[in-house]
Amino acid sequence: MTATVSPLEFRFVKFDAALTERVADELVAALGIDRPVHIEIDETTPLGRVRATIGDDAIHLHVESGAFEDSKRPREQSETATAVNLGRILLRVRDRLHGGFGEAPPDDELSLRQMAAWETYCAGRLARLGLTVNQQRWLYNFRNRHGFTDAADAAFHQIWTADGLTWGELEAISTAAS
Amino acid sequence: MRKFFPVEELARDARFTQITMRESQADPRSSLVGESTGKRPKTNRLTPSRPDASDAARSLMHGIFVGEIQALEGAGRTCHDFETGDGRTTDTVPFALKLDMARQAWDEARHVEISVKLSDWMGTEIGQFAENTVLFEVACSNDPVLRLAGVNRALEGLAIDVFTTMKEFGDLAGDPYLEFCEDWMLADEVTHVKMGSDWLRRVTEDDPERRKKALEFQSVVDKIFSFGGTRSDSSESPIGLARRFRELAGFTDTEVTEIAEVSLAALEDRKAFSAASLQADATTAS
Repeated sequence: MTATVSPLEFRFVKFDAALTERVADELVAALGIDRPVHIEIDETTPLGRVRATIGDDAIHLHVESGAFEDSKRPREQSETATAVNLGRILLRVRDRLHGGFGEAPPDDELSLRQMAAWETYCAGRLARLGLTVNQQRWLYNFRNRHGFTDAADAAFHQIWTADGLTWGELEAISTAAS
Repeated sequence: MRKFFPVEELARDARFTQITMRESQADPRSSLVGESTGKRPKTNRLTPSRPDASDAARSLMHGIFVGEIQALEGAGRTCHDFETGDGRTTDTVPFALKLDMARQAWDEARHVEISVKLSDWMGTEIGQFAENTVLFEVACSNDPVLRLAGVNRALEGLAIDVFTTMKEFGDLAGDPYLEFCEDWMLADEVTHVKMGSDWLRRVTEDDPERRKKALEFQSVVDKIFSFGGTRSDSSESPIGLARRFRELAGFTDTEVTEIAEVSLAALEDRKAFSAASLQADATTAS
């Protein structure tokens, strides 16, 4: 499967569509995504949201430019940020496609707590794939949504090290910790 | 040892990347926040209820960290750049003022260490975000009274607003370390502002023209430190104006009102500037 990117040239940011395609291709192969991925980059906003629409024939990703940006060099692209943020959304897509996540609400209906739990699950798997992921960043995010407690930290580590969770299992761990 | 150190030569290791205020404000994307998807929160104020709260807090914490480094450098320079004297001319300052600046440098050094530990706690690496050097730039005036106005009253006043926002964030999120640390640093900043206000009055007691010039400079710096509306009473601004703590620091009601107006003006100016940049980029591309 191949990834495509639009636009191919940028006016407001110094991004490289070819780099984005290469990173996406590698992730699609590593994660076993079974259909083409199209990435639409919205360069008109510095925010960093990434949204996915799963179609029968393709996956469409809408990415705000802040998600791929180098925080040290505004308006320039970071390969690490590109890989991690594409990886996070593609893992959520794969979870939905591979079963076990049928009960999960649509992305824009997930609570902040649910999103933090799922993001932790994705970030932990990306770290094991060899991507550069700061575990403490995700622990802080998890604590903000589940509380600054020993129970929350234990839940975080359970989710971070897990593979093959279902939505029901993920939600149960998250709910018990909050 | 060299005096009057330029901002371009501040000592930083390879982890740091510096940008100017103009580069920061010229990003044409800024004016479009909230317009691309139509589904945005009604307020930009930094609270845990924002979906991007964790990352926004991490970014602000790093801003505090580099701000503390520059505040340390500014206070240290004021100790060293001027001869000891009665302070009636622009090349001297009273010895007691130097002592206060030395105490402030000590406080800022402690704040740098606290900020490093808080950043680590929040999952941020040193130098992970670009460093805006505008804080040190206002500490480069040749007149020590202008430094007091720019650094102690404007910069440290901004610190009061930022620390209050972060303290409230820690309180709402239930983060005991963040809330506690910000509260302690906030107490120091109130003292720094008060020192600046007191020395400004004493040194310019017999020189109303110099005092007027210093307060005008403070007004300019307050507008710059509103970071294009990042700090104001408007809910569009992530950082609010901490009126109560500013009162404790010695700001009068009139002064706080003036800062509120300047901050709102900065917000509007930034919107206009970003929109103009966007229009210019679009014209160039077409």
